[in-house]
Amino acid sequence: MMGEIETFATAIQRSAPDIQVTSQADALRNYTVDGLLPRVVVTPITVEQVAQVVSLANQYDLSVLTRGGGSRISVGGLPERIDVLIETNRLTQLLEHEGPDLTCQVEAGLTLAALQAQLATKGQWLALDPPDAEQATLGGILASNASGPKRLRYGTARDLVIGLRVVQANGDLSRSGGRVVKNVAGYDLNKLYIGSLGTLGVIVEANFKLQPLPVAERTLLLTYPFAKYAMQTVIAILGSLLTPSALELIDPGAASDMNDFFGLQLPTNGYTLAANFEGGKISIDRQMDEARLIAGQHAALISDDLTGEAQNRFWEVVREHTQGTVTCKATMLMSQVAPYLETVEQVCHQHELEAAIVAHAGNGILYIELRPGDATLRLVEAIAELRMHAQQAHGSLVVERCPIDLKRRINVWGETGSDFYLMQRLKHQFDPKGTFVTGRFVGGL
Amino acid sequence: MSIAELPRSTTSPVFERMSPTKKAEVVRELSDLLGVRYVLHTPYDLMLYEYDASIDRSRPDIVVLPASTEDVAAIVKIAAGYNVPVVPRGAGTGLSGGAIPIYGGIVMVFTRMNRVLEIDYDNLRAVVQPGLVNLHLSSALNPQGFYYVPDPSSQRSCTIGGNVGENAGGPHTLIYGVTTNHVLGLEIVTTDGEIVQVGGETLDTPGYDLTGLLIGSEGTLCIVTKVIVRIVHVAEAVKTLVAVFDTMDDASNTVSEIIASGVIPAAIEMMDEMILQAVEADTHAGYPMDAAAVLLMEAEGLCEGVAEQVEQIVSICNKHHARAVRIAANETERQLFWAGRKNAFGAVGRISPEFYVQDGVVPRTRLPYVLRRVSEICDSYGLRVGNVFHAGDGNLHPLILFDSQIPGEVERVRQAGHDILAVCAEVGGSITGEHGVGIEKQEEMALIFNEVDLRVMQQVREAWNPHQLFNPGKLFPMPGRCADMKQL
Repeated sequence: MMGEIETFATAIQRSAPDIQVTSQADALRNYTVDGLLPRVVVTPITVEQVAQVVSLANQYDLSVLTRGGGSRISVGGLPERIDVLIETNRLTQLLEHEGPDLTCQVEAGLTLAALQAQLATKGQWLALDPPDAEQATLGGILASNASGPKRLRYGTARDLVIGLRVVQANGDLSRSGGRVVKNVAGYDLNKLYIGSLGTLGVIVEANFKLQPLPVAERTLLLTYPFAKYAMQTVIAILGSLLTPSALELIDPGAASDMNDFFGLQLPTNGYTLAANFEGGKISIDRQMDEARLIAGQHAALISDDLTGEAQNRFWEVVREHTQGTVTCKATMLMSQVAPYLETVEQVCHQHELEAAIVAHAGNGILYIELRPGDATLRLVEAIAELRMHAQQAHGSLVVERCPIDLKRRINVWGETGSDFYLMQRLKHQFDPKGTFVTGRFVGGL
Repeated sequence: MSIAELPRSTTSPVFERMSPTKKAEVVRELSDLLGVRYVLHTPYDLMLYEYDASIDRSRPDIVVLPASTEDVAAIVKIAAGYNVPVVPRGAGTGLSGGAIPIYGGIVMVFTRMNRVLEIDYDNLRAVVQPGLVNLHLSSALNPQGFYYVPDPSSQRSCTIGGNVGENAGGPHTLIYGVTTNHVLGLEIVTTDGEIVQVGGETLDTPGYDLTGLLIGSEGTLCIVTKVIVRIVHVAEAVKTLVAVFDTMDDASNTVSEIIASGVIPAAIEMMDEMILQAVEADTHAGYPMDAAAVLLMEAEGLCEGVAEQVEQIVSICNKHHARAVRIAANETERQLFWAGRKNAFGAVGRISPEFYVQDGVVPRTRLPYVLRRVSEICDSYGLRVGNVFHAGDGNLHPLILFDSQIPGEVERVRQAGHDILAVCAEVGGSITGEHGVGIEKQEEMALIFNEVDLRVMQQVREAWNPHQLFNPGKLFPMPGRCADMKQL
């Protein structure tokens, strides 16, 4: 109803004249989510303004979606309707960075790359390496639980966030956790907000615990004829004294992509295992040697060694490869990865599709890109089979990216589990009126 | 429902104690379920379960010992039917009163559910029952070269279930994190008596991180019947050092500089003069009796990395005027250094009839200021205080020494404890780093959380435990509670 949105927009501008409110169709087209246009876009400048916007939306029964850099705005199911889109890119302050405390406090609209640049001036970093660091904001990264290869060593957002400030559905500003690295006061709401895709609140500030920047870093590249041997190496390394920061498995399909589109020179007739080590120089040298030995025991064919710019470039390409047109994120136990890769090959063959796969091998997380992206009916079937096999391996399969046409025919998250009713109860407590856009999260929450 | 809408409790408790008739009925139903042997209800038997390691006490009406998840679910259904509260209990080593049944009711003890169910070394996971003793888990894994990381000082007795309830830490949390960073999934029983799996063996399970929410919920949201844990390989090398200082400030500044330099030791513990005297008399570990502060530090990892770290640490200690720095020559000496620290609380028994330990956290850089304030506060109440704590993460444990025979002493101790937590809140810290809120600090929650923050947490409890069947009266400030429920 036009009247409602206009009244809302007027109320916003009255309460905060410096907020940018966009309602022209042309401008709104830049903000589509799965083909859906929001009816108005609001760009607050302060955290309090975000709270005001949500409060007003709640009063006017309008639905709210929050957008950071937009790099993962399409993760999740189709949104039901978007009345108000809150853009956080004006909330970019680094509020606090205490070097000796190894903690920082930031506004949610700051991009990861901008934060890392500032932290680096004191020799520190936030140990999160998801793709698109230049575009992705901390708020978006947390809300979508984005992660990268170094999660193997450092964990993910849930292991690095020590406090959050969140706008509730009724516009109240609340805090969870705090500013210190050890804290068990009250319920750990940080864990609830992380990965909740904006369905419980709008993250406006985050406190993190930080790491000192590593002294040195090297990457060992190993090639194997079969995934089985690569995974045996992974299991052997993780069962040893070595402490890799990342262990990535790249299949022939992904290797071809990386060569063709990004100028890398990976072997395309086998599987590449990339092992990253960080620390002091002597310790890294030793770890590289021992990793080569272990790899040799598992039929590794050749090995290569990356440092400096070549290393940075390699990992940038690897991270970006988790963002294809149709990307499925499958999780399973490490021991299931090799058999599952065979399954993927069979299913693809059966449905005349191709796959390109990059996996956080040490965590049992696979990013499977399926092609061609417009073979909708074949993809629907293939995805169903791949999901069934992942579930048999005690894991899950989530379709993180896909064209809208495909999204309309599948459930991106998979069936809900026995704990879903508890999630519904929580959602009902936090957002009884449905102020936050529904349809995107698990079970349509 | 916001706090304002909840019925304001006055001095009447949330639950009334059972009448003898009702109790007899409940005992009968529970005995039919578990067998009479596993349902305790006589005063003599119940006495053992009325206290934990905190200063609170309250006798349960019934104690049950389930053998399985199904038993637990059935007990909960019976309890819900009779509207009798249920309090889960691990080993009773908690310091904040989490296992104290302040409204009576049923205490559920897990000593019969104490096994390791599965170990998967290839996939670095294990599945265990909640009653399993923390140290026993690592002992089971050691022969293969693995262990379970969170190691609270009470690990010889405390259970994994209790650890999950409190999100327990220990001295090695600085790099490695706490319980929530090492648990992947849970099997739980809800207040409806439903058995539900949350999280799982694999990572990033779709949906809300219920596992993360439940860990540290102090038995107020669910009862844990199975825990899926992450296991890791034991480090190649570990080196333990002791550094002696003539001022607290030197020791605190050393800690800050070590961290700021990029070296993150596996543990940094600090003990002050009062504690050192007690510890040395008790353990004879070679701690000096006349130093202002001692740092006990540990570097862990590959040999090369450890050697580099130790060099850095020693150099920084010397820069801050360390009187002496000693590196444990062998495993025996290392164990002795640690025994001194881990038995510190017990050793204090030599120098005072009673003590009260607090559990605040502050940013590391504020440690010198906070330690001074702690000293001033205790002085002002005429109380002696010793400090032993996890300096690496700013988690203090001031031990306030007292004698309850002295009139008014107990009240002064309570006030001092509160004032100390107020200082922690003032500098942007927390009121509890690892012991939990329980009964002990429920009022102090208001020091760090405002009404909105508390309302949001109440919402969570409303979703899981709307009738407060599980562990009622804990965690949240309670307006108008009976004054005699609190010992201190």
